[in-house]
Amino acid sequence: MLRYIPYVLKTLWRHRTRTLLTVSGTAVAMFVFSFVGAVQEGLDRLLNEQQQDRSLIVFQANRFCPSTSKLPEDYALRISKLPGIKDAVPIQVYMNNCRASLDVVVFNGLPAKKLRSVRPIVLQTGDWSQFEQQRDAALVGQAVARRRKLSVGQKFSIGSLTVTIAGIFASAVAAEESMIYTHLEFLQRTPGLHAVGTATQMEVLLDESADAQATSKLIDDLYRAGPVATNTRTKGAFQAKTVGDLVELVGFTRYLGLACVLMVLGLVATTTVMGVQDRIREHAVLQTIGFTGWHIFAFIIGESLVVSLIGGLLGTGTALAILQTSSLALGTEGILIAFLPSASLAVTGLTASALVGLLAGIAPAWQAARSEIVPALRFA
Amino acid sequence: MSLVEVQQITKEYVKGDQKIAPLKDADLTVERGEFVSLMGASGSGKSTLLNLIAGIDRPTSGQILVDGEVITQFSRTRLARWRAENVGYIFQMHNLVPVLTAFENIELPLLLLGLSARDREKRVNIALEAVSLTDRADHYPRQLSGGQEQRVGIARAMVANPTLIVADEPTGDLDAETTEQILALLQRLNTELGMTLLMVTHDPNAALIATRRLRLEKGVFVESTPVTAGRI
Repeated sequence: MLRYIPYVLKTLWRHRTRTLLTVSGTAVAMFVFSFVGAVQEGLDRLLNEQQQDRSLIVFQANRFCPSTSKLPEDYALRISKLPGIKDAVPIQVYMNNCRASLDVVVFNGLPAKKLRSVRPIVLQTGDWSQFEQQRDAALVGQAVARRRKLSVGQKFSIGSLTVTIAGIFASAVAAEESMIYTHLEFLQRTPGLHAVGTATQMEVLLDESADAQATSKLIDDLYRAGPVATNTRTKGAFQAKTVGDLVELVGFTRYLGLACVLMVLGLVATTTVMGVQDRIREHAVLQTIGFTGWHIFAFIIGESLVVSLIGGLLGTGTALAILQTSSLALGTEGILIAFLPSASLAVTGLTASALVGLLAGIAPAWQAARSEIVPALRFA
Repeated sequence: MSLVEVQQITKEYVKGDQKIAPLKDADLTVERGEFVSLMGASGSGKSTLLNLIAGIDRPTSGQILVDGEVITQFSRTRLARWRAENVGYIFQMHNLVPVLTAFENIELPLLLLGLSARDREKRVNIALEAVSLTDRADHYPRQLSGGQEQRVGIARAMVANPTLIVADEPTGDLDAETTEQILALLQRLNTELGMTLLMVTHDPNAALIATRRLRLEKGVFVESTPVTAGRI
């Protein structure tokens, strides 16, 4: 069938305006489809992160935003001595926006010596010793560095907080790359934060044998009558609760993705039907020469497939390129959902385009393949 | 054995509540190497007969044998393959594929025969030379005159060296001078290359180049004139 490809391509080029409009429409729809896919993948990644059931997050009870949680820092020491717990790390959270936003900058302040052991990050540039020695030093996730065009040695300010960038890191956990890590004490002393001696949350690392639910209850029971009551959950449950509203929203975007695919189906089918109607006589001539109905069927399916795949390639490719260069992350209450390009997004986008191309072509191709030659030759 | 044997062919159409029968129990034989012209008034069934022999239409009853094969019993797909190997069709309106060049239009039937690109190119060039259009190989149909388009159509019909060439009013859309050129070309296919031709025409003058002239009236042959010499 390869020798017929020039005919298929030339046929599409004959009505280039129509073809280009269809390809453009398909590209736009597949761009949206891929972007929606990236949002869904980001959320799935966040909620299905491995190991998040082996960590607990301790927050102040009844908090609604990180800034409303102020746990005494010494809780960490006492919690770390409870059975089944490897370590408890106080974390101060500071962000430029507590609501859902695409440009949230989240600072996590941790004891410098513990950062390396509790976070799976790998420095790409800069060095650990500078971070550990300099009070206002910060390690910046490479997604934030790309988005904000940050480099090592540069000073970076958000509100009243100014840090010096000591390193840029990558992480196996996508959302981590949208974080900025700094010293706990430095962040506690941020003007206006009034957080000296307190932490927003404690991250508790469990032993292999520890029961997460029982340990959570143990911590909350310990501070039920304390100066600040706590609310402890596994990291996974904490993140799921925090992004709960977004889950519904992202769930709704699935319909948007589906609508995009249906739109492409309609668009490509319309173009294919118009192409077939324009060439009723031409197809009859080809059949007179000796081309079978299956040849005609394959030509039309080929045309619809090419249009759909080119549109899919352009739309999905553009979406992946933008995701790669923009390093977008959606943040809410200090939890970040990273939107990343991935092989699965590319495969899904192209597979959807190919399937839509096939489906859109079947009915007109069948009609053309089965038409009677003599009446079709008389068709003006 | 005759090359074409049409046996008791009837073709009926239903148009609204009317049954139309352009052919009724028609019989015809065409010998190998003959050039047969088929004349008749509009609706006499001549194009219907041509289409049935070319295998692009099916009779209501009767059978057609071409080179010993009963083509009326072939499936749709087998009939298409048979046409690719055995029939060259020349249309009145040329019917070239507009997106393909003259070369590519002529190459179309060869694509179905599984020839290599080199063999196809060789055969297309011979066909282009036969119709004196070598210098127009890369031209698209819109860049050709009516006569040139028809010559490309003739080259396309002959390039696969078919058993039978059928022509449905090949000069019906051409001026007098171009008609002469096209008829001369068809005659050469018959006399020089020994091809068997069956041509439908309204033009009595055009019919004169055939070696046998037939007239159809209301689906029945009423006259058959063998010709020993070409037209005067």
